[in-house]
Amino acid sequence: MPRPSIASLLMTPPLLAIFALGLAPLTVVVIWSFWTWDPLTYWIKPDLSLAGYAAILEAGRWTVIISTLVKAVGTALLCLLIAYPTAYAVLFLAGRRLNIILLALITIPFFTSYLIRSFSWRLVLGRTGVLNTWLQDVGITQAPLDWLLFSNFAVVVGLVASYLPFAIFPLLLSMRRVDPTFLAAAQDLGAGFWKSLTTILLPLTMSGIFAGFLFVFVMVVGSSTEVQMLGGAGASIVSVMINDVMRVANYPLAFAISTIVLGVIFGLVLIGNRIFGLASLFEDQSP
Amino acid sequence: MMIREGLLNRIFLWAVTIAGLIVIYAPPLYLLAVSFNPALQPGLPSLSDLSLKWYVSLAKEQALLSALQQSLLIALVTAVLATGMSLLAALAYFELRTRRAAWFLTVILPMFVPGVIQGLALSAVFTRTGIKPSSLTVVAGHFMWAMPFAFIVILTSFAAVRRSYLVAAADLGATWWRQFVDITLPLIRPGLVSAFIFSFLLSLNEFTRAFYLAGRQNTLPVVLFGKMNSGASPVIYAMSGAIFLVSMCCVALIAIRSLWSVSGTRSQR
Repeated sequence: MPRPSIASLLMTPPLLAIFALGLAPLTVVVIWSFWTWDPLTYWIKPDLSLAGYAAILEAGRWTVIISTLVKAVGTALLCLLIAYPTAYAVLFLAGRRLNIILLALITIPFFTSYLIRSFSWRLVLGRTGVLNTWLQDVGITQAPLDWLLFSNFAVVVGLVASYLPFAIFPLLLSMRRVDPTFLAAAQDLGAGFWKSLTTILLPLTMSGIFAGFLFVFVMVVGSSTEVQMLGGAGASIVSVMINDVMRVANYPLAFAISTIVLGVIFGLVLIGNRIFGLASLFEDQSP
Repeated sequence: MMIREGLLNRIFLWAVTIAGLIVIYAPPLYLLAVSFNPALQPGLPSLSDLSLKWYVSLAKEQALLSALQQSLLIALVTAVLATGMSLLAALAYFELRTRRAAWFLTVILPMFVPGVIQGLALSAVFTRTGIKPSSLTVVAGHFMWAMPFAFIVILTSFAAVRRSYLVAAADLGATWWRQFVDITLPLIRPGLVSAFIFSFLLSLNEFTRAFYLAGRQNTLPVVLFGKMNSGASPVIYAMSGAIFLVSMCCVALIAIRSLWSVSGTRSQR
């Protein structure tokens, strides 16, 4: 019997965990999405049916899916617009010490509560919040603006605040690989800052741009707290809708929605990986 | 060599950066400041009447305290498991030559599964197999969320491990285990510590998965969420402020340590 390689020995425990706690439940999601649900007893039965998927077309559920995707794309683009200059400033403008401080400031949000961060926007955007008070003090508005909180505006602001670091990080990783001599050479040859940015830096950091977009997109599609904390009455997003459907234990419908969402997410991740090689972003140049 | 951005462009780049940081930090820091205001109405406290009143009254909130205890326990177990497993996964990645990208994707993919879907799916599996919701079921969900992050952190710390070190050790007769203990482990120890702290914080602050997986004792974010939606009381500001502060300090600690080590290695070169 050939001895198993060290790599396969090392891989076994994490692989088992990923299969048992990650893959197996997702398989259940896909299978149960084809079962049926009895609205009288709340029981589910293992029939092969498309009732769960058909129910998505009812009660405007598909519009929630579409609006979630639109929010995700919009938030991701907004985040990229802020993240790109930020990544540039951190890498090329900041000195060594400032660089580390900025990196820490960008890292901290990953590990603080999204719940608390969304909740704190209520204090800023509310009727008696900081922003409304300030707008009235300065005299820009006479009465408090009601659309600041519990609105789509508040949700998008909350989403950008929550997931901006997810866009900055991959950009930092990909920009770090760009040799600054390229940029300097372009400038020596007479290219202005914007010219060298668009012809050299942007093409060389496409993988980071895509990864940043992907991360924010995926996080927004899976988000729920921002809508629950900041959204208006009746505002919904896929995760909240799944929550609502589960109040009556309608597993087939909840899992049909989940299957579609997972399909979109994994599709994007795999395509992105094929084109840009996500793994290479995180690999450091270890010889 | 310098890149010349021009003054205006430089100002523009910094302005966007600062705006981004303000969007991220201003609201929670404001909440933190409000938590030191003794008044019932939320607002910035004047410097003269800063007070820990609401923090003191936290001690009387039994529901919050037992939830906090539960959350800390779960976070600790999650951090141990996630760090251990992702160390194995990262070592495997280091050993692999051909299937690296596939392995990376396998470990990282759970990160992309929305929390609601993962929590719900796990709870469906647990109910069917007769596993009662408890702290361990929450750990299962949190572990899947924390492991990809821990894996990436440990993986980046592997940059310090040169292949030549290991080859040299092998030439001198060191077994794989000996190489691991004497060379790899000391070099990646900072990464392991960061991975542990990060997984701990990710679990401590996780909300949607715990919502579906928690048993009789809810975790702190779940209890907080309920309280936030049933009328804001200043005690919530204090609790939120405390959690935010602790999380920030943990990450800042790691940053300061890396600041030390960076200035150390840079000066040696």
